[in-house]
Amino acid sequence: MSPNQDLLGNALSADERELLDLYRRLQALSRREDLMPCVLMNARQAMVMMWNACNDLGLVAEEPGCD
Amino acid sequence: MNRTWSPYWNPKTETLPKDQLRALQLLKLQKLVERAYATSPFHRRLYDAAGVRPEHIRTLDDIRRLPFMTRENWMENQAAKPLFGDLVTRPEEDAIRYHLTSGTSGRQPLRVLDSRKDWSWITDMWCYGFWGFGIRPDDKVFFAFSYGSFIGFWGAHYCTEKMGCLTLASGNMTTEQRVKQIVEMGATVVCATPTYALRMGQAAEKMGIDLRKEGKVRRVIVSGEPAGSIPAVKKMIEDMWGGMCGDTAGMTEIGTIMIFECDKQPGGPHIIEDHFIEEVLDPETNEPVPYGERGERVVTSFGRGFIPLIRYRTKDLVCKVPHTRCSCGRTGDIYEGGILGRVDDMKLIRGTNVYPRAVEAVVREHAEVEEFQIIITRVDNVQDEITVKVELKPDQEECWPRLQAKLGKDLADAHEGLRFNVELAKAGELPRFELKAKRLQDLRPKY
Repeated sequence: MSPNQDLLGNALSADERELLDLYRRLQALSRREDLMPCVLMNARQAMVMMWNACNDLGLVAEEPGCD
Repeated sequence: MNRTWSPYWNPKTETLPKDQLRALQLLKLQKLVERAYATSPFHRRLYDAAGVRPEHIRTLDDIRRLPFMTRENWMENQAAKPLFGDLVTRPEEDAIRYHLTSGTSGRQPLRVLDSRKDWSWITDMWCYGFWGFGIRPDDKVFFAFSYGSFIGFWGAHYCTEKMGCLTLASGNMTTEQRVKQIVEMGATVVCATPTYALRMGQAAEKMGIDLRKEGKVRRVIVSGEPAGSIPAVKKMIEDMWGGMCGDTAGMTEIGTIMIFECDKQPGGPHIIEDHFIEEVLDPETNEPVPYGERGERVVTSFGRGFIPLIRYRTKDLVCKVPHTRCSCGRTGDIYEGGILGRVDDMKLIRGTNVYPRAVEAVVREHAEVEEFQIIITRVDNVQDEITVKVELKPDQEECWPRLQAKLGKDLADAHEGLRFNVELAKAGELPRFELKAKRLQDLRPKY
């Protein structure tokens, strides 16, 4: 899957690119072990919400349990 | 600022042309089977025994190579490896939610776990349904639900929070307190089982509250019982509340809803096909049945990470019709009449098939009826008898002789002439329900 395409091979719109970028950044934050609890837990919540939007739009093929 | 909202929660995939929808389903199915095989020992054993591997799933039709999951093999797995079996793909500490099936069938309940992402997805499926039935951020949504270990409306509660609605929980309230709060808070949406929506309406009448005049309810969303798609039941609910009644259906095994009625109400709920594959099979032959024929729902869910649900036999009876039956533009097909009953709740009475939902559909045509029970007995160890016990609404006693005769005739007409006994119950004699109603008692000896 190309990073510039959705699961069906359509080119990503500007909004979709931004969503996906936000999701990846939140995902990276969520994996850090040096963050304060108040940062880490809220980042994880934000990450799953962003995953949801990306998943609904068919932008990611990641399994739902992988958080 | 008043903005004009899309009628769809997810315009991109809810309206996908069918060929693209199928392509998306195939991609998701391939990933799901791959993951289940790699991370769930239960699935690996199941697939190894059937000689099927993830790479065998090349087309959507290949789903039929996969063996079924059943309630029975899930329960056995849990019993063999308590508490959750080796069906789960992740360690327990990764979960944030724990729920149980309702246990209405009297069997050992199934235990389920969900991760953060699972739970977020679960609430999102409810958003498809609520948004599709016209709920918007300025709504006030009241949940007549007890918030226990049964999953019920839990996901819907989080859905309305996500949508920005004012969400009103009513966990420990009495029926009367709930009615009062619905009116006092000006709730615009009420969520309940169909049985309990009726019960709250009856309670309001007894309290001297006219919900149509004093309340602001514009939508009643029901779930949990097949009655939610019976037109006579919906009409009763709409007459009581003054708002449109829409059906949804889900199951604890999925964690959420997989079908919902849109506000065009084409005669049944749409399947959320970008997140589920819903097969309809002949329960005897396991062959797919064509559009318009009854069969058993077999569901595959793309959403729950903790528990891969692939080809799960639900025992729900449904009749799938094409999405074109509806004018809303969604491309998810429709279950005409919703969940029609259970494959295993059919009762054979003197050679005639009787489904409780069909009996309810006839009984609810009679507005004088407040509550009812179906009782099946065996006389002299030979003859099966079916009796419908009816409790009337207050001040309706005069209509009884006429109603008794009419109900007996209508029930017989709907069941190939089968004779039903119709009896009168005293006021308050029959049980009332908050969650799933149990209106059938089969008292025949079990051998």
